[in-house]
Amino acid sequence: MAVSMAQATEASPEGGAGGKGAAGDTGRFAAFSFVDRITAIEGTSRACGLYTIPTGASRFPVSLVAEAIGQLAAWVAMSVVDFTHRPVAALAGDTRMHRLPKPGDTLELIVDIESCDADSIQYRGRALVEGQLILELSDTLGSMLDILEFDSPEPLRADFALLTTTGREPGAFKGVPSPILSDLSGEGGQRLEANLSVPTHVAFFLDHFPRRPVFPATLMLDAQLQLAQRLAERLAGGPVRVQRITNVKVRAFTPPGATLLLFAEAAEPGQHDVEPILIKVGAQAEGRTIAGAKMFFVPDSGETA
Amino acid sequence: MAEAVISKEEIMAVFPTVQKTMADALGCDVDDIKLDVSLIEGLDAESIDFLDMVFRLERAFKIKVPRGKIIEDVRGDMPVTEFEENGILTEKGLARLREYLSEIDASRFKTPMRVDHIARLYTPETFCKLVIRAQRATQAAG
Repeated sequence: MAVSMAQATEASPEGGAGGKGAAGDTGRFAAFSFVDRITAIEGTSRACGLYTIPTGASRFPVSLVAEAIGQLAAWVAMSVVDFTHRPVAALAGDTRMHRLPKPGDTLELIVDIESCDADSIQYRGRALVEGQLILELSDTLGSMLDILEFDSPEPLRADFALLTTTGREPGAFKGVPSPILSDLSGEGGQRLEANLSVPTHVAFFLDHFPRRPVFPATLMLDAQLQLAQRLAERLAGGPVRVQRITNVKVRAFTPPGATLLLFAEAAEPGQHDVEPILIKVGAQAEGRTIAGAKMFFVPDSGETA
Repeated sequence: MAEAVISKEEIMAVFPTVQKTMADALGCDVDDIKLDVSLIEGLDAESIDFLDMVFRLERAFKIKVPRGKIIEDVRGDMPVTEFEENGILTEKGLARLREYLSEIDASRFKTPMRVDHIARLYTPETFCKLVIRAQRATQAAG
């Protein structure tokens, strides 16, 4: 049973490598790049940037706001180690969603870096639109890996130079497809399972990453969120929205074309949790758990993620 | 590598918090975290889990543990070339490792021992000692 593909519009994987981010490019530094300009870097402690969500993007899930914050941190981290290493998503201790952004919004991105070296980066960050908080990340940790595994240092240096001077032309992102969930099981119980088919030919793989295509952790989170929301709404008997995601951990890379088993199961919120619904989610590849998180939901007052 | 001996009492004083922290990081029951279980071979921990555990221990104990601290401490003031050759511990390096990881059963030290396989030896007790050393360093720094 397929559950969520209605809005899917797969971007074509065309577009050459090495583009400078013009709105027409769909490949490298375009299809999955969410910083248009870096407006300030204060040593290794803080960076600020901007990203405008293209009005023509077919789909911009809220997890991509977290991606934008993470990418700003990644640019700073890469520059700190002279583009010898790059961070990859690993741990996000606490993510709070305050508002949903909409196409045309310009995200003001701020990251505060607590530590950064060739092994790991630890940071927190936030995104605002017109001064209003959209999303906050804290206790975020990325492992730094050899950059040659993922991309070429020289184009990255050039991209970074562009971002820190004039900035790139906004509008390159064309959207991401809705996650393809199938074989849903567990309807009526406290646990849902579904298969996630990771696409093979989508533009974001040209950008994430040019030398090694990896399914972005934030898109896996988007798929997990859809499954969790389905369970949470059934348990709540009405619409809910995600307010907080904690304990995000990504333990392995997922290649194009993989099939993951996603699960979402109801759990008791802790004493200090203010949200009434907690759903634990996970992803398994060939029986091995490769990702997990806790998602907290509240009754929806009008906006949904 | 002279350092004050870490007593069993000190280890058991921090173990409950280390145990809970590791269970949270690995998503397993607290009871699964025995003092001497191999984190990789017994609990399926991976490199990202070690990063997660250290991060959580830093928060729980208000300490700072630089990444790669265990290997750095094992080597101490020994030059890298004396410690390892082409990623394999030298005899001197292995002796240092046995001394540093004194909680680990001798049968688990293989020869040759690859540097990138050292983590396979780690147990919760290894991390208890890491915490105690970090606490001592914090106190010494005043």
